[in-house]
Amino acid sequence: MSHKEILVEVKNLKIAFGKGKHKFMAINDVSFTIFKGEIFGLVGESGSGKTTIGRAMMRINDVTEGQIIYRGRNIHGKISKSWDREITQKIQMIFQDPMASLNERAKVDYIISEGLLNTKNYNNDADRQQRVRAALLNVGLLPDFSSRFPHEFSGGQRQRIGIARAFVMEPEFIIADEPISALDVSIRAQVLNLLANLQQQKNLTYLFIAHDLSVVRFITDRTAVIYKGRIVELAGTERLFSNPIHPYTRALLSAVPEPNPYKERNKIVEIYDPAQHCYDRNPPTFKEVEEGHFVLANEQEMAKYQASLQMEVHK
Amino acid sequence: MRILTQALSCILTIQNLVIKFSLRGRVLTAIRNISLDLYKGESMAIVGESGSGKSVLMKSIMGLLDKNGYIDQGQIMYNNWDLTQFNTEREWLAIRGKEVAMVTQDPMTSLNPLKTIGKQIEECVILHQSLKGKAAYIETLKLLKDVGIHDVEKRFRQYPHEFSGGMRQRIVIAIALACKPKILICDEPTTALDVTIQAQILQLLKHLQQKYELTTVYITHDLGVVAKVADRIAVMYAGDIIEIGKTHEIFFNAKHPYTWALISSLPQLGSKGEQLYSIKGTPPNLFQDIKGDAFAPRNPYALKIDFVERPPFFQVSDTHYARTWLLDPLAPKVQPPEALQSFFEEGRRCAHES
Amino acid sequence: MGMYSEEINNISHRSREALFEFAVTDERQAEETAYSNYSYWRSTWKSFLKNRIAIFLLVGVLMIVTFTILQPYLPAQKSPTEIYLDEQTGLQARNIAPNTEFWFGTNSIGQDLWSRIWAGTRTSLLIGCVVAIVEAIIGITIGTLWGFSRKLELPITQLYNIVDNIPTTIVLILMSYILRPSVSTIIIAMCITGWVEMARFIRNQIVILRDREYNLASKCLGTPDYRIILKNLLPYLISVIMLRMSLAIPFAIGAEVFLTYIGLGLPISEPSLGNLINEGRVLMMSPELRYQLIFPSIVLSVITIAFYIIGNSFADAADPKNHV
Repeated sequence: MSHKEILVEVKNLKIAFGKGKHKFMAINDVSFTIFKGEIFGLVGESGSGKTTIGRAMMRINDVTEGQIIYRGRNIHGKISKSWDREITQKIQMIFQDPMASLNERAKVDYIISEGLLNTKNYNNDADRQQRVRAALLNVGLLPDFSSRFPHEFSGGQRQRIGIARAFVMEPEFIIADEPISALDVSIRAQVLNLLANLQQQKNLTYLFIAHDLSVVRFITDRTAVIYKGRIVELAGTERLFSNPIHPYTRALLSAVPEPNPYKERNKIVEIYDPAQHCYDRNPPTFKEVEEGHFVLANEQEMAKYQASLQMEVHK
Repeated sequence: MRILTQALSCILTIQNLVIKFSLRGRVLTAIRNISLDLYKGESMAIVGESGSGKSVLMKSIMGLLDKNGYIDQGQIMYNNWDLTQFNTEREWLAIRGKEVAMVTQDPMTSLNPLKTIGKQIEECVILHQSLKGKAAYIETLKLLKDVGIHDVEKRFRQYPHEFSGGMRQRIVIAIALACKPKILICDEPTTALDVTIQAQILQLLKHLQQKYELTTVYITHDLGVVAKVADRIAVMYAGDIIEIGKTHEIFFNAKHPYTWALISSLPQLGSKGEQLYSIKGTPPNLFQDIKGDAFAPRNPYALKIDFVERPPFFQVSDTHYARTWLLDPLAPKVQPPEALQSFFEEGRRCAHES
Repeated sequence: MGMYSEEINNISHRSREALFEFAVTDERQAEETAYSNYSYWRSTWKSFLKNRIAIFLLVGVLMIVTFTILQPYLPAQKSPTEIYLDEQTGLQARNIAPNTEFWFGTNSIGQDLWSRIWAGTRTSLLIGCVVAIVEAIIGITIGTLWGFSRKLELPITQLYNIVDNIPTTIVLILMSYILRPSVSTIIIAMCITGWVEMARFIRNQIVILRDREYNLASKCLGTPDYRIILKNLLPYLISVIMLRMSLAIPFAIGAEVFLTYIGLGLPISEPSLGNLINEGRVLMMSPELRYQLIFPSIVLSVITIAFYIIGNSFADAADPKNHV
């Protein structure tokens, strides 16, 4: 699994909703890179903008400023029809709510074949049906489910149908927008395993958007933490969890409930107060504080973080 | 952790409860014979997935079952009343709010968007505490302070849409407390909230439980939440309680394969690069009569007898019971899955240290 | 220990031990989900059937419609336009009360009311159905484009504002002056003004549906707009479309009566419920001739009430919240 080939680059992305007085910057200068073959996690709470980034990559939301680059070519704004068709096949999305993301009035067969019918990526009808059957088996469902309607299935099965729908297109890059948040606890493990397996089998790249940090820790290689439209920290997942630097990341990590009654009851929860930064005079930038580990900080804070890192190394 | 002794009195007892729903011409058995004791002052968590019946159980205590639901058999004894015999709204009014109050998942739908939040709390205070005018206003402000809201005089006059999700949930808690209930039922109170707010709300609920000497029941699927707030845990599956015990017993000495599966499937127990432990299949169809153990078709440790006869409660300790044939003396000895064993080990270590 | 069931009681201790062996779990069986046999249309139909009055009226309406179609072919039917002469006097058989020869009597110029009423019902029903269908087609097309396409939203809104604000009556009067009064004129005139309601209604529904997640998913898969409309949006609207059409029929029939009142209806040579009621109206005062008003009024009322009740019952039945 070579990590070094860059697949997706986001440069100084800004996305605003509304106009004039009601303008709201959902994404405020975000930059990051996703390497081929890795699972990149994007963590934030509600209103942080993580879903907006995912949708901008799928070209559902418009980009106000900045670039989104896929394999060296822009995928934001106006693009040629042939490139549009190509990325429709190469970039696919898995949605959060299995109850809302399937067309209730269509058979599973049509739901899964929808992308194939659009890109005509099959030889004849028998081939198409074969692909649908293979897709269903791949996600652990029985092939004769294709003649049924979505309402006959449970949440976990519906989410798997959604996954089959994305994978039948043979994509390279999958944006998973909170794929397990709406599922039951025991079903989450099934779907997580499925996603991890598929990624390994087909050497795919994921952008895994979530708010549940324990899930992110399990499945991602690198993680970015996003707060109110800005990325505050980006690092390899294990490094981020063992050594969080930005106060928001620390507060987020300490708030995650741990399934250990002894630890949980004695834990002290850190609270993040955005007023602790004085950014009026010294605006922050997104800088590398150690290899592969980026933090949003101004000069004073950066000096502080680097000092504490040195102390840790010397311990 | 507080130690519960047998001397603690029982505040609510559920005996052999069976609840059915008539749905599209067929009968669905949502609760399949449950017995449960709730002790005064404790914090009980009911853990289960969707379809396990945990919400239905709590709704039946407050008489809030849907129109097509009915109690087929059993009793709910509270204060020498049998709540299953309540038929009229009048009878329920004596219970709802005054004795048992509920906090639900979505605070936006629990609040009236057209009234100021102060008025909504004051309504309850006037109704249930028989205070009027100025006294009610002062009591309302006190409640708002108790739930951690600042600037209470200004906030009193604001509308629900002017508050964030976490603040709204605090207001809902304040309304529930205004009635001075004895039992507080929290139905997934933090599922819709961000994780940082969740920690605060759970802390608040714990604090209020101690201050007002409430008995709290948490309904949730999140084991992390349970670890934080619960004294006892009841695990539900397909309308039945399959394991019940004190928190540390359930977490670190669970006996039922479903409980094992629930804990093992937590990502915190998984190792990167390996498969998470997961249960195959989907929960059973409650329209049909279930023979034997409901979890059997998905249970990798199922015995033949699990398909034949429903397991009774086997005692693991004074406070810990599990409904699994694996505890029968005739059953083969089974070890919980690997990942879980190290988790149990860690738990025993923590117990020694604390 | 628990209670042993009968069959286990009869098994020896040795066999009971055998039950404590591991069972083979069937993964396929675990995956077989609760196959819910719920079909939306079947549930709708079942809900509808529960409403006895609606069923009764539906049968009644179907009988009336069938009868109006078959009536001319039945034996001993008279022509609706022929003026009958009284055999004895040789004069026009005017204003004869209902008797064995003229079952509903005759009107003031000697035409048989029985056949006129059925001919009139035929015409009115034809107008009602055609108007409902054409309105639906135009309304759905424009409403869908209006709700779905962000580019067309502004121009169509302006068009709607203009058309909606012109009083319907004026348009109908203009049409009637420009074209000769006839069945097609009335149909055209009503369609020109009637599509706006349906369009606005469809547009509101589409605006609600178009941003739902499954439509986003379709867009991500590259589905072209026309297929999103046909397969994702319209199937959800079928029940509401049927409801509106079933209410549009009596409305169109009533509008035709109204137009006749103000003199813009069909020519007298073509019988319609409007014409008949109009003719009967002037005779309301005299009790012997009142039958000329009562019979067409009853037919009109029955049809109108029946369609309204059937339409509303269908709407209630089609609402998934009412499906039990």
